[in-house]
Amino acid sequence: MLFTSWPVLLFFTGFFFLYWLVAGRDLRLQNLLILPGSYLFYCWWEWRFLFLLIGASALNYYLGIAIDKTDNIKYRRLLVGVGVAQGLWMLFFYKYMNLHHGLIPLGISFYTFRTLSYLLDIDKGKIRPTRDWVIFFSYVAFFPCIISGPIDRPGMMIPQLEKKRVFDYGQVSDGMRQLLWGLFKKIVVADSCAMFTTDIFNHYQVLNASDLLLGAFLYTIQIYADFSGYSDMAIGASGLLGLKVTRNFNFPFFAQNIADFWRRWHISLTSWMTDYVFTPLTIYFRNFGKMGLIAAIIINFAAIGIWHGPNWTYVLFGILHGCYFIPLILRGTMNKRTKKGTFIKIAGTFLLVMFTFIIFRADTLSQAFGYYRKLFSITIFSGITITEKISAGVVLGAALLMIVPEWLQRDKQHALQIDRIRWFPVRAFIYFCLIVLILGFGTLKHSDFIYIKF
Amino acid sequence: MDKASILQELNAVFIEVLDNDKIVLTRETSAADIGEWDSLTHIQLVVGAEKHFGIRFLSREIQRWKNIGDMIDSISNKIN
Repeated sequence: MLFTSWPVLLFFTGFFFLYWLVAGRDLRLQNLLILPGSYLFYCWWEWRFLFLLIGASALNYYLGIAIDKTDNIKYRRLLVGVGVAQGLWMLFFYKYMNLHHGLIPLGISFYTFRTLSYLLDIDKGKIRPTRDWVIFFSYVAFFPCIISGPIDRPGMMIPQLEKKRVFDYGQVSDGMRQLLWGLFKKIVVADSCAMFTTDIFNHYQVLNASDLLLGAFLYTIQIYADFSGYSDMAIGASGLLGLKVTRNFNFPFFAQNIADFWRRWHISLTSWMTDYVFTPLTIYFRNFGKMGLIAAIIINFAAIGIWHGPNWTYVLFGILHGCYFIPLILRGTMNKRTKKGTFIKIAGTFLLVMFTFIIFRADTLSQAFGYYRKLFSITIFSGITITEKISAGVVLGAALLMIVPEWLQRDKQHALQIDRIRWFPVRAFIYFCLIVLILGFGTLKHSDFIYIKF
Repeated sequence: MDKASILQELNAVFIEVLDNDKIVLTRETSAADIGEWDSLTHIQLVVGAEKHFGIRFLSREIQRWKNIGDMIDSISNKIN
């Protein structure tokens, strides 16, 4: 089943009205609707692993309370250790040992990171555990975000679930617009890029370097449109339910350097890794100066790579990004916000990132190296030979339709926060055009969200 | 050493590490109050304090600090 399909839209519409019209009066009722709704949604995709999700929720719920209760440091460490071991073991067992031949419990990387941060934050004294199991189980399984994030922190999400949500027209209409923009990015941009990239990566041996360059460029656009489109939909859908979910992308293609890029790309994962992996490592290596920092960043990015799955391509992707940080660390500018941006820096960062997404997309390391060898060959001047149902020009046009509005709206949360267009008919016309484009491109071949497999 | 003198000496460490002599610490000061205090300079501050007081913090201890007051309590526990 596809996330961007009519049944999902119908399910969500029904849920929306039930949530506000029937459950809207009562906090307990709102939460009691979110939990079974989330489980129903989960089962719809993959019922076999529901019990794993429930088991992990129950264990972490009780561990959280027990960690908070005890004053005995050793016992406390044991409890945290049990929780961390359970999370990491589950990831290892289901994702990396691959006993089920590619069948991975849906959303496991995302909800495990939620339970891990819950226990670690309680241990650090940053939050208190919740005593309401419905709230905790909903936090873990919240359906707009369970499949591919964003990975919400307990300190952000649980307090919102503890308060009654009140219908706010501004929040709901903003959610709707973000949902529409996400849908546009996925169906119009990502899926049309996918038609090209699938063929180019599968047949790179027989294509020209020009085709391969197009493939690398379009895949970079595709993975952004796909994953940030999904995130926009998840954040928008949560907004429709009166919940503010953490931001996942902040226009990463306009980043000035690689550190800036990672502050803007998959933010909920990188900030998670910064708090629970990178920072502890920097503390651990603190007497080794810049060398310690370099070691910490490379380990951190290797871990970000491995998080995607048991493939050396992801490891290399991560390590390469870690190495990209070395000049910034040596110059001491890693945490400095660049004040004056230049187009050269933006383009350079984009090229560095595009270069690594070839490895990310490749099925094996040897395919990635083959792709590079072919890419840097004389056929770069031979012109594009690949043909699809739609022309490459249309796809590039669609990409521009995404990038230009995002550039104009880069200080906003998403491209459709267009309140400065005062005249309503103009705004309505923009929405109308987007819907027409979505329905038009909707008849093309669709692929599932890339991050669903992680 | 009492906590007031620790605060004074710690203030000097901050001024030196962050290269900003306008810094005035109180027990309530946190990273949000000082522009130069980010996750990376934090590490340098920790190392600076460790060297100055001749102590070694535990990793978990460092991560539990919320403000200067917590940091002073840790130092006080180690040197007294």
